[in-house]
Amino acid sequence: MKRAVLPCNGLDKQHGVLARELALRLMETQGAEVICPVLLNNSPARYEKALAEAPLLVIDGCPTRCASKLATKLGLRVDDKLLVSEQAKAAGLDVGESLRPGPVGMQLVDVMEAGLASVEEPVVGEEPSASFESPTDYLTVTYDKFVFKIPGKDYLFNENDCWVRVIGDRARVGVSDFVQQSMTDIVYFEPAEVGRKIEQFDEIGSLESGKSMMDALSPVSGRIVAVNAQLADSPELVNEDPYGKGWIAEIELSDFDSDKGLLLNADSYSKVVEKKAAEAQH
Amino acid sequence: MENHERVGKDYEVTAEGNGTKVILMPCSGIGKVHGLIAREATYAVTDGLAPEGSETLCLALLVSGDEEAQAKIRKADCIAIDGCPKLCAAKNVEMAGGKVIRSIRVVDAFKDHRGAEPGTATTLADDGWTIAREIAADIAGCICAGTGEVK
Repeated sequence: MKRAVLPCNGLDKQHGVLARELALRLMETQGAEVICPVLLNNSPARYEKALAEAPLLVIDGCPTRCASKLATKLGLRVDDKLLVSEQAKAAGLDVGESLRPGPVGMQLVDVMEAGLASVEEPVVGEEPSASFESPTDYLTVTYDKFVFKIPGKDYLFNENDCWVRVIGDRARVGVSDFVQQSMTDIVYFEPAEVGRKIEQFDEIGSLESGKSMMDALSPVSGRIVAVNAQLADSPELVNEDPYGKGWIAEIELSDFDSDKGLLLNADSYSKVVEKKAAEAQH
Repeated sequence: MENHERVGKDYEVTAEGNGTKVILMPCSGIGKVHGLIAREATYAVTDGLAPEGSETLCLALLVSGDEEAQAKIRKADCIAIDGCPKLCAAKNVEMAGGKVIRSIRVVDAFKDHRGAEPGTATTLADDGWTIAREIAADIAGCICAGTGEVK
């Protein structure tokens, strides 16, 4: 099981900056889940699963101990604690005044990391299935100057413009070409949490463009087993390939036979797109 | 570390400040490149472009209820720089009784940089530095150097 790490914000004090550096180092080398202290304070539910399943390491930069205070305030079970200023003193390292970690600061990070052996083999989200290939055959809906593509087979849709493709007991979901053209350039994607159980029409991620925001609603129920990590750095993949590389999540199905009753095939969804395109013009 | 060193030549970062300046409040932003851009843009202003008129304050210190931090935020104008649409910085400044005179979102800057490759949560790539510098220049442009007033 991977470790959860709650560092202090580490913005304006050198030891705090190193607390943050250590947390990011553990993320890279041990697969630790780094918990943003402010987001945790605002939305504790965001980290509920990680905090329930993983041992928690709290890293404070200075004796103000903001991260520890936050853990206490939220009633978190803390498995290990570390105070960077104490560690520096113990190691005899003077990290200086700069807020950019220098060689001595990074040496201290090395020392602290060495003292924090990996708790166990890190667990990562399941690998996305390689079986889902981009479609090649499309229906098209033409309205005014717009041409919207809809995969002609293997794909089903909900009226919220999200698609699902099913192989065995696993489904891949995303948003339609109509969504990406309507939103224009997508600049941000917030994924859902891997491992979360969802009902049909629950949120599976959110998208934002310069024009609008959208919560993607799942066409199927089940458990989220993978999310498209590429979208974090390249949300434009949704624009470029909404039915392929721009997929949002993979779901282990729980009741697809029932879910199908509320889904549309390509022909039916094309009529929804025609209607929405017309409404958008008026 | 190469990119950090390169920027450090332009503006050395120190932890000094006083209570009369505009407070730049980046989100904590740990674990995401958008947050790292917010942080670097802040450093670029407070330690390079407008050190006389700006300073920063630790957001976690504020939300943990530190009385000194809360008193400080209530006395100064604040510019919030958030990585993502959750707006943690802007919301928490306002919850603490601070006055957000500008709320900047890093994701908005990406609209002018379609296809940009900003780097990772730990290291900015060239595109990430470009965006950070643009945000910093935007912020510095509205701070009157030496007075802490906002144009």
